[in-house]
Amino acid sequence: MTESWKTARDEYNAAEIPAELDGRVRAGIAEGRRRRNRRMALRRTVSGLAACLVLLFGGLNLFPTFASAAADVPVLGGLFRVMTVRGYRSENEDRTLTVSEPAVSGGGAFEKRINEEIQERVDAETAKGEKTVKEYKDAFLSTGGTEAEWAAHDNRVSVTYEVKSETDSVVSFVVRAQTSTSVGYESDAYYNLDVKNDRELTLKDLLGDDWVALCNRSVKAQMAASKDPGVFFTADQGGFTTVDADTGFYINKAGNPVVVFPAYAVAIGSEGPVEFEIVK
Amino acid sequence: MKDTDTGGLTAYLLEDQARFYRLAYSYLGSREDTLDAVQTAVCRALEKQRELKNEDAMRTWFYRILVNVCTDQLRRRKRVVCVPPEELDEGRYDDPSPDDSLSKQVDELPLEIRTVIRLRFYEELSLQEIAGVTGWNLNTVKTRLYGGLKKLRMSMEESQ
Repeated sequence: MTESWKTARDEYNAAEIPAELDGRVRAGIAEGRRRRNRRMALRRTVSGLAACLVLLFGGLNLFPTFASAAADVPVLGGLFRVMTVRGYRSENEDRTLTVSEPAVSGGGAFEKRINEEIQERVDAETAKGEKTVKEYKDAFLSTGGTEAEWAAHDNRVSVTYEVKSETDSVVSFVVRAQTSTSVGYESDAYYNLDVKNDRELTLKDLLGDDWVALCNRSVKAQMAASKDPGVFFTADQGGFTTVDADTGFYINKAGNPVVVFPAYAVAIGSEGPVEFEIVK
Repeated sequence: MKDTDTGGLTAYLLEDQARFYRLAYSYLGSREDTLDAVQTAVCRALEKQRELKNEDAMRTWFYRILVNVCTDQLRRRKRVVCVPPEELDEGRYDDPSPDDSLSKQVDELPLEIRTVIRLRFYEELSLQEIAGVTGWNLNTVKTRLYGGLKKLRMSMEESQ
């Protein structure tokens, strides 16, 4: 290699490496692992569910006694309040779309209102995801990308839900929209319903009048006690200050509220959304 | 299901991070964009680790992800940056001026050509590896490399 190439390469190698590079690479590794595990978890859930349904319906069809017994099993009889009303997966050259839309059973006005709201949200998030992919594609092709290169992209849009807890009177679940193109996007909507009294539960309902102070104390204590408190932003950096009526939460199996902050809200992005269980 | 993370990939990503930064920086020229690009590429690599069948090909495989992230970012930028016609720099469409340093001349080559040149001379990848990174066939890579050298007014002997 000639002198001029050596010089050119030295100049190239002289680019200063920022101190935060290592942190960013580690953050990328953590985020990538998290996403991969989530995809595997989803695959597991879907195949697990399919197996259950085959067993269940197979059993119901074959054995009349099984069917009548099923009605007595609490999980299948009384407690199954949240179910999928619309589920599909569609794949085209641009993206893979996965939708499973939940609804709350029971024919009352309250359930109807909630179900309509969920349906609106699912439709809007699906459309938004499709639009993001479409815009990305247009930009990609209009700036010199070829169809073949585009086909190599693995874009995913999903709107799904997860039931967090369910009792006779209270159901808690999250509707989660995710779009992953060259960048990821996630938006969660939490539903905490008192189906006995037809109302949506708030943190105040669960924790009492002192809920703000109680949550703030608990969140701060848990941040300080965590394995790596450095991942949380300080208040100066725009980190956690206080919970409010818009703070997302769900109710866990123990019956405690768990407050959730979206990725980047209170901690570095590699942590993803962070959760704190509030024990009264 | 067993976690398929063998540690080989993460070790490589941590070890060679400075190289990734330089390569991405040579595309993006901005510190923040480069950090974002490296992080995105690393994240994508972990996410898609199953697709890496052969650890020997790890470097080529990862460079491909990184180069794709960078070129995507450049395309996006093209979409949003509006330059009034009178501010367009006519000079950039000309052949590089021989007075400039070689690295500067390389920076001014068209995207495909400078990709090949950088991978070949700065990262010292073989032509076959470059074909693997870019997804172009070997002949295309050769054509672009020789085209680039010609533009740089550099004979093949000089580049050996």
